[in-house]
Amino acid sequence: MGFREHSARVRRILGIVLAVLLLGGVAAVLVAGGDKDKGTATKTVRGVIGSEKSEFFTDPDVVKALAAKGLTVSTETSGSWDMEQLPLKGYDFAFPSSKGPADELRAKAADKAVATPLRPFYSPLVVVAHSNAARVLAGNGLATLGARGTSGILRMDAYLAAVRADRSWQQLKGADKHAELSGTLFITSTDPVASNSGALYLAAASYVADGGRVADGKEAVGRTAPLLRKLTQVQGAQQTGSDAPFRDFVSGVGNPLVLVYESQVASQLLAGRPMGDLVVLYPDTTVNSDHTLVPLTEGGKELGRLLSEDPELRRLAVRHGFRPQGAAPEFTEATNPYGEYLNQTLTGVRQAPVPTGAVLRDMARRARDQGGTA
Amino acid sequence: MRPRTLPRLLTGLALTLLLTATAGSCGTIDNSAGGTGEQRDRTDSGPAAPGTLRILASSELADMAPVLEEAREATGVTVRATYAGTLDAVERIASGRAEKEYDAVWLSSNDYLRLRPDTAGRITNETPVMTSPVALGVRPEAVARLGWDPKKVTWSQLHQAVAAGRLTYGMTDPKRSNSGFSALVSVASGLSGAQSALQDRDVAKATPKLREFFTGQKLTSGSSGWLATAYGRRTDIDALVNYESVLLSTPGALTVIRPSDGVVTADYPLTLLTASSADAKESARRLTTYLRTPQAQRRITETTLRRPVVAGVDPSPRLDRDLRRELPFPGSRSVADGLLDAYDNTLRRPSRTVYVLDTSGSMGGERLTRLKEAITELTEDFRDREEVTLMPFGTTVKSGEVRTYTVDPKDPARARDAIRADAARLTASGGTAIYTSLTEAYRSLGAAPRDTFTSVVLMTDGENTDGMDGAGFDAFFRALPAEQRHTPVFPILFGDSDRVELEHIADLTGGRLFGAEGSLKGAFEEIRGYQ
Repeated sequence: MGFREHSARVRRILGIVLAVLLLGGVAAVLVAGGDKDKGTATKTVRGVIGSEKSEFFTDPDVVKALAAKGLTVSTETSGSWDMEQLPLKGYDFAFPSSKGPADELRAKAADKAVATPLRPFYSPLVVVAHSNAARVLAGNGLATLGARGTSGILRMDAYLAAVRADRSWQQLKGADKHAELSGTLFITSTDPVASNSGALYLAAASYVADGGRVADGKEAVGRTAPLLRKLTQVQGAQQTGSDAPFRDFVSGVGNPLVLVYESQVASQLLAGRPMGDLVVLYPDTTVNSDHTLVPLTEGGKELGRLLSEDPELRRLAVRHGFRPQGAAPEFTEATNPYGEYLNQTLTGVRQAPVPTGAVLRDMARRARDQGGTA
Repeated sequence: MRPRTLPRLLTGLALTLLLTATAGSCGTIDNSAGGTGEQRDRTDSGPAAPGTLRILASSELADMAPVLEEAREATGVTVRATYAGTLDAVERIASGRAEKEYDAVWLSSNDYLRLRPDTAGRITNETPVMTSPVALGVRPEAVARLGWDPKKVTWSQLHQAVAAGRLTYGMTDPKRSNSGFSALVSVASGLSGAQSALQDRDVAKATPKLREFFTGQKLTSGSSGWLATAYGRRTDIDALVNYESVLLSTPGALTVIRPSDGVVTADYPLTLLTASSADAKESARRLTTYLRTPQAQRRITETTLRRPVVAGVDPSPRLDRDLRRELPFPGSRSVADGLLDAYDNTLRRPSRTVYVLDTSGSMGGERLTRLKEAITELTEDFRDREEVTLMPFGTTVKSGEVRTYTVDPKDPARARDAIRADAARLTASGGTAIYTSLTEAYRSLGAAPRDTFTSVVLMTDGENTDGMDGAGFDAFFRALPAEQRHTPVFPILFGDSDRVELEHIADLTGGRLFGAEGSLKGAFEEIRGYQ
């Protein structure tokens, strides 16, 4: 083992030396070709990330800020709960969207000392709705809307009661004016077995359904299993990442209610994109997605530290809609113009604690399983 | 453009070296690495050149060529696409064959793929690029005749129109193509009144109505391209089921109906194969980042008439912006496969097929063995209620060996066993009477016309040597009653058969030529999608 690591390091150093030598040539060519310069030599770190962070890492300014600190980051996306199944060899870090999968990844990591998770930023789960749908929910006591009608609070107890009763849109006052509002009322989420936001949705729902208790084992999971199964099964096929259902929503196709991270919406707003008939509903009980970086090598650890501490990277995280850890005036300041959509201070929104990874997994599996799967 | 070529080439070379170096291996340096022009034109599935992305893609994505060319200019990533039907692609991914030849897959939807547990670890980075709902394209005169407001038509109205004999349509085979499968899910949801994702009981409940609905399906196809061609030949079919984007691009100004009670929408996720190289992953990242820019999204919606997935980019003015309910795709494989089985064996009109098989002297030996094996394997694919005729020929049709079987749903093994036994008894002798034998096939079908998907498969290993000649067959075909001229011949190019001759037969009869270079079994299997 020691020998292999040693030889890997030697090879990496050799690689860097070669890279530095070559970069001179590349930089010269780039200048000749009229492209922008590359600056200092960088160390490449490879990682697997939740799909919602993909645009952050491909942002040229993020690439530049990281390069200024000597890092080139190359990423692949995966469902947070699927990461564990990927061969992690060759990666420098894994960056799932919550603590649960991060803990499991850490347990799998070869070097536990390096793999101390870091939480550079977070984002609460919200529900995006088309305005017709949001107004009908509000008209039926399932949501309250702000003055402009572009943001509001989703009443989770009322929503879960409607789900228990198999409520359809047609049974809600005012839905008949809108042809697209028909069929069972449900929120589209991702596959809870594979993806973090889907699992966190179940965590929030079970917390509400079980009278404000965090599921702590089999019995607790059993108590809310029928409801969670309902929340899941009505959706049919689910996507494995939160990007796809959000894109469907933006495209004007798909379900009118979609569970996403606040960051997905905020980043669009901050980019100045017109959001059409978007309404952002904050569940009155929601769960924060703690974007947790698990370093697998020193390079990965360095990346985690930079994301947490570097002021420029924190500012760029905000650009992508994330809330940096700790006091984050950066977020409030940047999102001030979009207060009509975003609940900056999360007023009226309670955070449900998340069960342990094992319990959450069990919860997800029981919600998803139906006789005859596969 | 010109003056930048050299620096760009050098950059490419230097970056290749850089990647090689940081990967820690001192492999040989490929001097052709910068010459992407050479690799760009290659269509086989050799190893990927740097900056080349080998993609297994849905066939309708051929319309992305201009967008991908611009993407290449902007990102340096060249896409080498190979087109396949959804089911075929899923099988290739599940078996691990896809990752040997491709870096990524780009299907209309990954919904069916996701139901297969054996594909789970093989895909990553699913990035939806654009959307298009599956809809009906109806001839404007049919819309007028039916008195419909295209914005308000429901699945039950469509069903009633079909049941009353007032609407016919063509649709791809749901077992092979995602548009067909999506249509099947939509209509099953619509007619069962299912309020959420389909369950087996919904399908059972809707079976009588579904059967009526599928009596209106007059054309089936293994691919949406051929469906459009076949539809173009027919003036007696009112509508086509396909993606909105394809319908709007079909000549003849179809009125697009997205049923007001719900649709299933494709979202075209560009998806990496987990096993692809770091280079390929980087290329894919550059490509998807580009495709998600507002500029590329505008081009996509203008050029291909699909809907953008980036906020602030409006869909093409030709796309109607009313919202539609999205009908959930089944969440379990058992429901999805149950629906497909029901379609094949219960709901659709049965197939009726004559296999015109060359067993002339030249087929002796290995060729005959391959034919026997191919037919033996094919018997598992015959559907319940299907009528199958084996018609071997040499100097003329070997009438003593012609047999017809119908697959009885109560005992499907009986017909299959009998066909296998017949195949085992085939012998090679005589000349090659292609055209005379084809006329025999039409005569036997015409003697007792029935409401079926009727087709002729022609397998020959040589040129016509006996009986009627090509001109004679042309005249024979043109003199057939209109109804019989709708029966296509699907010739298989095998051994020393004459491509021009066979292509002509396919064109004349509205069929399609299939190659058996890969395997005879494969050709027979592919034709199933058209029967």
